Amino acid sequence: MEIRPRSVLLTAALLAAVLLSGCSWFRRGGQSAAPAPVVAEEPQGEPSIVEPQVTRRDVHTPKVKAKDFELGAYFGALAIQDFGTNPLYGVRAAYHVSEDIFFEAFLARSEAGKSSLEDVFPGITVVGSSGRQFTYYDLDVGYNVLPGEIFLGRGRAFNSALYVTVGIGDVKFANQDQFALNFGVGERLLITDWLAAHIDVRDHVFESDLFGVTKNVHNVEATLGLSVFF
Amino acid sequence: MLRLLARVLLLQAFLAVSVHAAAENLQLVVSEPYLEMHSGPGRGYPVIYVIGRDEVVTVLYSRTDWYKVRAPRGQEGWARREELALTKLASGEPAPIPPYPDFASHRWEVGAGYGVYNRQNLVTAYADFSFTDSLDIEAVIQQALGTLDNRYVASIGIRHTMIPEWKWFSPTVGIGTAYQHISEKVPPAPLEDNNQLAYVSVGARGFITRRFMWRFDWRAYVVFNNLNVNEELEEWKFGLAVFF
Repeated sequence: MEIRPRSVLLTAALLAAVLLSGCSWFRRGGQSAAPAPVVAEEPQGEPSIVEPQVTRRDVHTPKVKAKDFELGAYFGALAIQDFGTNPLYGVRAAYHVSEDIFFEAFLARSEAGKSSLEDVFPGITVVGSSGRQFTYYDLDVGYNVLPGEIFLGRGRAFNSALYVTVGIGDVKFANQDQFALNFGVGERLLITDWLAAHIDVRDHVFESDLFGVTKNVHNVEATLGLSVFF
Repeated sequence: MLRLLARVLLLQAFLAVSVHAAAENLQLVVSEPYLEMHSGPGRGYPVIYVIGRDEVVTVLYSRTDWYKVRAPRGQEGWARREELALTKLASGEPAPIPPYPDFASHRWEVGAGYGVYNRQNLVTAYADFSFTDSLDIEAVIQQALGTLDNRYVASIGIRHTMIPEWKWFSPTVGIGTAYQHISEKVPPAPLEDNNQLAYVSVGARGFITRRFMWRFDWRAYVVFNNLNVNEELEEWKFGLAVFF
């Protein structure tokens, strides 16, 4: 019976040795061999096991369109000094820089009538028939002096502005290009936010020597126009 | 039956279009206590409606510093840029309302002005692109209207802005080449009516307000010709411009 506890002790020691052999405790001396990293290699060409099923939301913020440009046409009457009052047709383009300031460009054409001299003396020709065309372009800067609203009855209000413009340009009359200054005043009435009606009065001043003396001639136009903002 | 079908189809098409249109507009959430809507795009127009906090405002388009907006219940009006910029996207990010372009580092300039070229009245228009804050390329077309002749001048050149950070007044220098066409008004005809030119320029630029600026330029031209004497021309001009 003396052997039994010894054999139990031995068995326990053996078991402990076997069990603990996996622990690093026994390997303290021989650390040099580091454990090889476990690499789970995926076979190439095969899809990965977990595929993300997330549909990405395409976040795009819409752009706000700037409607600062204005394009339109106008017609009216142009009083060419010494040559009577005649119909005028033109186009305009504008760019609104701020609520006060805008740039404007005009291109228009009219046809001069007979001067009073030619009426009195039918034999005299001051300007030949090819030179009777009155064409101008202008580059202007404008200022909205009196912005406001115009009321039509009880239920309707239209935005409007009284503006002044000043600019320079070229007037071609009697086959000659002349440097011309222009001054204008006008009213813009917005029928809708994108459609505007204009009433303008503008004076084109340039130097002329058609009648022998050099003088400043004033050519006043009164026009009605429509324009579109875009 | 056919008519009914046509109506249904029409209605569907209309709905599709309107839904599409609604989806294309920018929608913002008011994050300040309220957003004011004015009756017109200007500082004097009265406030006609107010959109409360956390409500969605639809932005339709802009005109100068004002944005045409629609309230959740369909009312439309104009909101000021500075106020609309305080709203947020649905994701919580700040609203994509761009600030004014910085004058010192703007890219584009388009302008027009008056000047004197060879003692003739000058109408001038130009466009300018900035490579860096101080180095620009500019293209100019101009018409000089004199008593003896009219001249059409096109030029292209580079311009250096000395100190772009100076807002109200900053000197510039430039160099470039030009082409002029002379059309005679009074005889005799010019000896040469098409010439190439070269120029050097000294000028200045400055900020006025928002996107608005001024330019001044003085140029000395040399006209390349086949005559015995080199012709030299002088030009100055003042212009107003918009920058982007």
